[in-house]
Amino acid sequence: MSLALARRRTSPAQTGVRYGPVVVAAIAFALPIFWLLVTSLKKQSEYGSALFPSVLQWANYELAVELADFGHFATNSLVLSTAYALLAVLVSALVGYGFARHSAPGRGKLFMLVIATWMVPNLVLFVPQFVLFARLGLTNTYWPWILWGLSGSPFAIFLFRQFFASFPRELDDAAEVDGAGPLRIFLQIYMPNAGPAIAASAIFMFLWVWGDWLYPALLLRQDNTTLAVRMANAYLDPHGNPLQTVTMAGVALYVLPLIAFFAFAQRFIVRGIVTTGIKG
Amino acid sequence: MTFYLLISPWLLGFVLLSAIPLVGAFVMSFTNYDGLNLDYLRFVGPDNYARALGDADAQYALGRTLLLMLVVVPVGLVLQLALALMVNQPIRFSNAFRTIFYLPYVIPVVAGVWIWKIFVDPSGGLVNAALGVVLPDFNVRWLVEYPTFVLALLTIWGAAGGGMVVFLAGLQGIPAEYREAAMIDGASRTQVTRFITLPLLTPVIFFNLVTGIIVALQILVQPMLLSPGILGLNPGTVPPRDNYFYVVHAYIEIFTKQLFGYGSALLWLLFAVVLGLTVLLFKTSRRWVFYGVEP
Repeated sequence: MSLALARRRTSPAQTGVRYGPVVVAAIAFALPIFWLLVTSLKKQSEYGSALFPSVLQWANYELAVELADFGHFATNSLVLSTAYALLAVLVSALVGYGFARHSAPGRGKLFMLVIATWMVPNLVLFVPQFVLFARLGLTNTYWPWILWGLSGSPFAIFLFRQFFASFPRELDDAAEVDGAGPLRIFLQIYMPNAGPAIAASAIFMFLWVWGDWLYPALLLRQDNTTLAVRMANAYLDPHGNPLQTVTMAGVALYVLPLIAFFAFAQRFIVRGIVTTGIKG
Repeated sequence: MTFYLLISPWLLGFVLLSAIPLVGAFVMSFTNYDGLNLDYLRFVGPDNYARALGDADAQYALGRTLLLMLVVVPVGLVLQLALALMVNQPIRFSNAFRTIFYLPYVIPVVAGVWIWKIFVDPSGGLVNAALGVVLPDFNVRWLVEYPTFVLALLTIWGAAGGGMVVFLAGLQGIPAEYREAAMIDGASRTQVTRFITLPLLTPVIFFNLVTGIIVALQILVQPMLLSPGILGLNPGTVPPRDNYFYVVHAYIEIFTKQLFGYGSALLWLLFAVVLGLTVLLFKTSRRWVFYGVEP
């Protein structure tokens, strides 16, 4: 901590000023999530009648897994998210390395194009892509995500370009003297030192597919779609009445892995964003 | 040559998945394309654009979208900055606080919508239960009566963490010496924030402002999924009138009514609005964004 800050004594009033707002904000932010968990542990008969569950109904979670074929859709989501994230990160890193380290006529303009595609409204791009995929017979398959991954993500390309641009050039020179080609330099020097950028972009790419509802809803079938699309539908009892409590258990199972992961990786992500310099 | 080889995956993807489709979408916006049949395809010239400019639903939807943007973007920005300043203080559990504020940002939209649907549900929700303690007979059906209010809360809650992290990165890029020097000269904490921190943060404020506006103008999935009712959230849903935003309108024209040509024209007009606003912001940024310090 800095000297000027350390010399000031903190009174109880100052402690209140420092902690009051942040605690209130934290409670406000956490309450909706807390309520999701509370609801997921109620008996269905307690929904709307009792504020809190009398006995925690862990069986809701078992029901949520059984009734929705949860494992099947979770696997679909996992496969699709992982495949996309792997491809998009690898390709974006390669392209970002090209933009950061190799000059050629038109490089500046091409980089403006990367940024420009980032700014085009999603649906403007998706509607013609949808028509294209339908014409090629790629709807109801995972090919659209593979093709998106293979062409990299503008966001990640930008991130890697910024990150690699800060590497000392002497590394390349030394490797070139040793006879290494650009691909080897990329794989053996740049990638091993790109941990924070790889982690930050992989997380965001994974999360984008895991959380996306629109594209799988429009491109996939009921049986090969992702968990997001399945979870968008409420669980029903045999008479067709909604089971809010089981639905919330399903939603909790859908987000808990992410929550656990981010609670663990929070510091890492902030560092990734700081070091990759999103500010430009 | 190496450069072009290295960027070839992106370049190829750009040509096949962006450039060609974008040209196609532009051409499509001058046709009556229905998404299925090429036999009836014909050019209608600027008809779609003329129709879009006179479309009462589109105008209404654009008005709602601008209203939402004018509320969500400033409130969101102030909240994000406040959160970043709060957790950047030397406080205990600051990592726990950061995680709590960041969590809604990583919660997928489907889950976020469910969380708020249940939170404000008149029968099982916490909001009405809590308000009912103070006000007996309190029974507001939030999603039916005030859907835009719930949507605004949902989007502000969901976006706050992402903006906060970018602000934190900006705060950590400000050399501590600047603040210390000011404090040694007798500046109060508020003065340091107002005259040192805020001016140095303007590039980050600008970044969050631009991205916030672009995201707010394109809002689609949240209003669709937030439609009242508990059974299902499907691609054919139409949100209540209050939450009928511009891209929702375009989406319904395209995917529900199969008007691919007309819907494309609507989307290009939105792109023009987004681009215009962005250029305008960049022009004004010269007056208030301070790029003086190189990190």
